[in-house]
Parts: sequence; structure tokens; C-alpha cells
Amino acid sequence: MTETLLGVVALVFFVLGTMALLIAAWGVLVLPDALARQHAATKAGTLAAALITLGAMAAAVDTGSWVRLTVILVFLFATLPVSSHMLARAALQEQEPDGSADEPPLAGGESSPNAEGVSRAP
Amino acid sequence: MIAAGLLILAVGSIVVAVLGVIRIVKGPTSADRILALDLFLTAAVALAITAAIGTGRTVFLDVAIGLALLGFVGTTGWARLIDRAAQRRHQAEIAARDDGDAEGGRP
Repeated sequence: MTETLLGVVALVFFVLGTMALLIAAWGVLVLPDALARQHAATKAGTLAAALITLGAMAAAVDTGSWVRLTVILVFLFATLPVSSHMLARAALQEQEPDGSADEPPLAGGESSPNAEGVSRAP
Repeated sequence: MIAAGLLILAVGSIVVAVLGVIRIVKGPTSADRILALDLFLTAAVALAITAAIGTGRTVFLDVAIGLALLGFVGTTGWARLIDRAAQRRHQAEIAARDDGDAEGGRP
């Protein structure tokens, strides 16, 4: 009885986590902006990692697995937002010259690599 | 019951990995590629957990811990690299603009 119940709980968590992960990947593929993609990947990705780890906790049978899964869960919760924050700052820095490049370009040849990098950005 | 959940999880993770690879190939900026790589690593952690539950060996959970660690360090390092490169390029652009203004104002 308990086995069946834990199996159902694990199945529900696995399905929900897979859905969240697929939504995150869909957002990363479809959304138009670097920061918008960041938003999709971080929130849905963290939620998916948490749900999958909880489902694995329900499915696991021994103490070693529980300890390791708890370590994975705590570590992902501690690090995913931090790395996403740093990546968002980097994306903003990368975008910022794009906004200021609307001014007329300089005549000098030194700015040509910059102009190439800017024109590639959407 | 658990086997069905593991199958769904494995197939979904592989689909997510494929979508991430598409974004890595397409991504216009470096931040997009690193973001897709981060998602790819999350899918890899999910696959490692799937393998651990499916085979009953805790070794794959150690692999998942290592992947999570690697993803954090890699993403942080690349983000710092992009940040510094963009800042340096921005400063060079400003310096070049000031230089151009000084030259244009002379005649």
C-alpha cells in the first residue's frame, strides 16, 4: 500500500518536473530577448530541478540516496539563482552598447569590430 | 508506476537537451549560449537522477552532484568573462568617441 502510494507521488512529481523543464526549454527557444530567455530558464528550471529531486526522494529506498538528493536540492537552490543573476548582469552589459550605438558612428576604423558585434545583436 | 515516471522524465530531458542545443547553435549573443548550456546541465542532472533511480545505484547521484557543481562554476566563470569583455569594449568605445570628438572639434 505504502509502496503504491509512494509510486503515485513519485510519478506525479516526475510528470510535473518534466512539464516545468519542457516549459523552460520552450521559453528559451521561443522568447525574443536574452533577458526574457533568462527569466524563463531560471524560474522554470529551478522549479523543475526541485520537483524532480522531490520525486526521486519519493522513489528512492535507502538513506544514502536521500542524503545525496538533499545535497543536490540544497546545492541547486543555493547556486542556480546566483549564477543566473551573474549571467543576467553579463547579458545586460552585453546589450548596453547596443542602446548607445544609435548615435552616428565614428569615422575611425577602430570602431569597426564594435559595429560588427552590435549589428549582430537583435 | 515509478518506471512510467522515469520513462517520461528521460524522454522529456532528452527533448530539453535537444532544444538547448538548438538555442546554443542559434543564440545571437554569448549570454544566450551560456544560458542554454545551463539548461542543458539541468537536464543532465535530471537524467543522472533518472539513471540512479532506474538502476538503484547511488553512484549516479554523485555524478549529479558533480554536474551541478560544474554547472555553477562554469556559468559563473563565463558570466564574469562576458561582463568584463563588454565593460572593456564599452570603455574603449567611449575613449574612441572622445578622441573623435576632440579631432572633429579642431578645424
